[in-house]
Amino acid sequence: MTIYPVEATGLVRRFGDLTAVAGIDLAVEEGEIFGFLGPNGAGKSTTVRMLVTLLRPSEGSARVAGHDIVKSPNAVRRAIGVALQDAAIDPLMTGNELLRLQAVLHGLGRKESAVRTSDLLERVGLTAAADRRVGQYSGGMRRRLDLALALVHRPSVLFLDEPTTGLDPTSRLAVWEEVRVLNAEGTTVFLTTQYLEEADQLAGRIAIIDDGRIVREGDPRSLKEAVGNPTLRVEVADPAMTDTARAVLATFGEERPARTGRLAIGLEGGAARLANVVRALDDQGVPVAHVELDSPSLDDVFADATGRRLEGANSVQTE
Amino acid sequence: MRGPTLRVDSVSPFGPAVLEIGRRSLIRIVRMPSILVPTIVMPVFFVIAFTGSFEGVTRVEGFPTDNFINWVGPFALVQTAAFAGVGAAGTMATDLENGFIDRLLVSPIRRSTIIIGPLAYTAMRSLIPISLVLLLSIPQGASLPGGVLGLLMALVGGMGGALMLGSMGLAVVLRIGHIRAMAMVQIVAFAFLFPSIGQVPLPLMSGWLHTVARVNPATNLIRMTRQGFIGEVTWAETWPGLLVIAIGMALFTGWARYELDRRAP
Amino acid sequence: MTAVIGRGRWRVGVEQSGALIVRSVVNTWRQPGSWVPSIVFPLMMAGVYSAQFARATDLPGFPEVDSFLQFILPASILQGISFNAGEAGTALALDIESGFFDRLIASPVARQSILIGRMGGGAVVSGGLAATLMVVFALFGAPIEGGILSAVAIVIIAAWLSLAIGGLGIAVALRTGSAEATQTLFPLTFMMIFVSSAFFPTELMSGWYQSVAEVNPFTLIVDPTRRLAIDGFSFADFGRALFWTGTVGVATLSFAYRMYLGRLRRS
Repeated sequence: MTIYPVEATGLVRRFGDLTAVAGIDLAVEEGEIFGFLGPNGAGKSTTVRMLVTLLRPSEGSARVAGHDIVKSPNAVRRAIGVALQDAAIDPLMTGNELLRLQAVLHGLGRKESAVRTSDLLERVGLTAAADRRVGQYSGGMRRRLDLALALVHRPSVLFLDEPTTGLDPTSRLAVWEEVRVLNAEGTTVFLTTQYLEEADQLAGRIAIIDDGRIVREGDPRSLKEAVGNPTLRVEVADPAMTDTARAVLATFGEERPARTGRLAIGLEGGAARLANVVRALDDQGVPVAHVELDSPSLDDVFADATGRRLEGANSVQTE
Repeated sequence: MRGPTLRVDSVSPFGPAVLEIGRRSLIRIVRMPSILVPTIVMPVFFVIAFTGSFEGVTRVEGFPTDNFINWVGPFALVQTAAFAGVGAAGTMATDLENGFIDRLLVSPIRRSTIIIGPLAYTAMRSLIPISLVLLLSIPQGASLPGGVLGLLMALVGGMGGALMLGSMGLAVVLRIGHIRAMAMVQIVAFAFLFPSIGQVPLPLMSGWLHTVARVNPATNLIRMTRQGFIGEVTWAETWPGLLVIAIGMALFTGWARYELDRRAP
Repeated sequence: MTAVIGRGRWRVGVEQSGALIVRSVVNTWRQPGSWVPSIVFPLMMAGVYSAQFARATDLPGFPEVDSFLQFILPASILQGISFNAGEAGTALALDIESGFFDRLIASPVARQSILIGRMGGGAVVSGGLAATLMVVFALFGAPIEGGILSAVAIVIIAAWLSLAIGGLGIAVALRTGSAEATQTLFPLTFMMIFVSSAFFPTELMSGWYQSVAEVNPFTLIVDPTRRLAIDGFSFADFGRALFWTGTVGVATLSFAYRMYLGRLRRS
């Protein structure tokens, strides 16, 4: 039997009459970045809070790093690093002090704490700000510090709850880069996000959660492929050849609406058949001015699963 | 990387964790001293205000002493120490609101650390009002016929009051998770401390208050704290106070622990 | 600043203030935790003190009253208001902490309305509080001797007083932006009330303490208010109470306004 870094079976959490998480099954593979994608209020944070032993499940069970989250919570805590959504950071303390506190809480000795603290500060680029109060940090600096705090005890599984919400694009890229590096070093990452791009960029596999349930799961590419064929758009250089082109394209997929001067189809078989299309057009002497292939986005996947769009819904909430 | 022989579900060493959490509380005080203002101002105020406002009551026939500070000073001591305890719980409320407590909860520390840490800090913090009240009572003409034992009783009473209210504060904060909960704890503190023998002795009270004050646990606590200022320290006036502290602490720390476990495994 | 066309700035300001007052009152009502103590706590103290000091009313120098309960009525109202006003400050501090305040500032709301809304809400709640306390005292055998006229006068004084005390809480909230710091004001106001004639007559005090209590603004407000309750209505007492409430109010509100401008500059 494989031991998954994160494994949940029938996880349920109710708050009074409200069911925030309605039966979740998960298995995160060793060494992957697992993206947990969903709109605000879908149950992402509640699920994470259960997995990191901050909240008791109402039903079901979960094992993190091979330990039961309810029966051996301390073993779980020892194995995981956690950076929570609202960066639980005391503004009156300095980065240095917080890191030392965190180190001691994880059982590191004094000397080891000091060494680890300076290493991590350097790693996240906060050495210069180490003795400044966190209250004076920018949003990006806080997230980086939060990340460093989560790494103090060299966790094997890292939980990041919306690590870039509210960050500017530059800071966001910096956090992404750090997550990639960590993952390359062998850390399994469990990442929640409401940003499609983030899930797409970082995660090797994602689960889409909506209304407390997982509605889709898989690697982003096959999820998108499952939604349907990518759209192929062709601009014919010679308008007289348009009808010929249309006939050729019709053999590769159903025609889709396109703006004047262009033809579009849903390309059956996806990108793999692009070369065949180009060859067929060339065989018929159709001069091509422009070709583009648009894959379905994760938003299409989300829409396909829930009947709603994620993209618009979230841009309203991010300030 | 790993410690020598850690049990799988073992926790981080207890002592350093408590020390480090306590250190953090001190850092907060140094950087935001306004937190301590009430802890310092209240003792000064109560010693002066209780004597100033109500000294006339000693003229009522049957009052056991004509030096009101000996009577009301120990009450001020218990009361301000208790409020220092509530204030310490306020730090926990702030931590809950800004999510800092989550950081403690996801650490592999013994759960009791999260309660004992703040309580250790509470005990330290209560020394401020206790010593202030004692110092301020001297120029008001207080006497201490109970000697060193009397002083010890004042210390035990004050610290006991602080720890009881502090642990009650923790429990309420963990239950409600909001800084406004502190106002409720303050009210409860008043509700116990006021209908007691704090300001006037039992014989002077009328009707319902006499009954309430007689069975009020705060009366036992105040009597224990006060005895050295009125006469000799006796076991008869000591044990009921100690019992109140023991029961109160067991009850409220148990409640706080229950609330903590209810939140997270 | 306010990009409103066709309507007077004043009218818009008044409408917005009104809306914010309503929001503040509704918010208070929906959170019993924030106002129940301001009734229960004064009643509790009144109950305890009237049983503790029942025999003190016979002492020479004590004003002519039927009972200690009647004597302590203005003190109870004062306490309730100060508690409430502190809550208003805390609520504002929480608004600042949560970012709601910044959002209001960023919205095209006339900036003064934000302050007026908070304070006005507090005044309405305090007037209601005073009325409630008077009814409860009457039920327990300490009616307002001056009848409805005195009762209305006391409600008005209470509303004004909440502006005066509330100004201080608002000022601290604006200055510190911290709910924890703002909450410390409640005990401070409580102390001010203590060193006044609210709980015990100044005639029975002595030395410098007596001198301080005699000039404490709360004494100057409580004494005429108490006469309205135990002797009957008189314009002189009503005027005196309003005058001193107004004086304190001008001081605290201008302080709050300065802190407000300071925060606007910072944000």
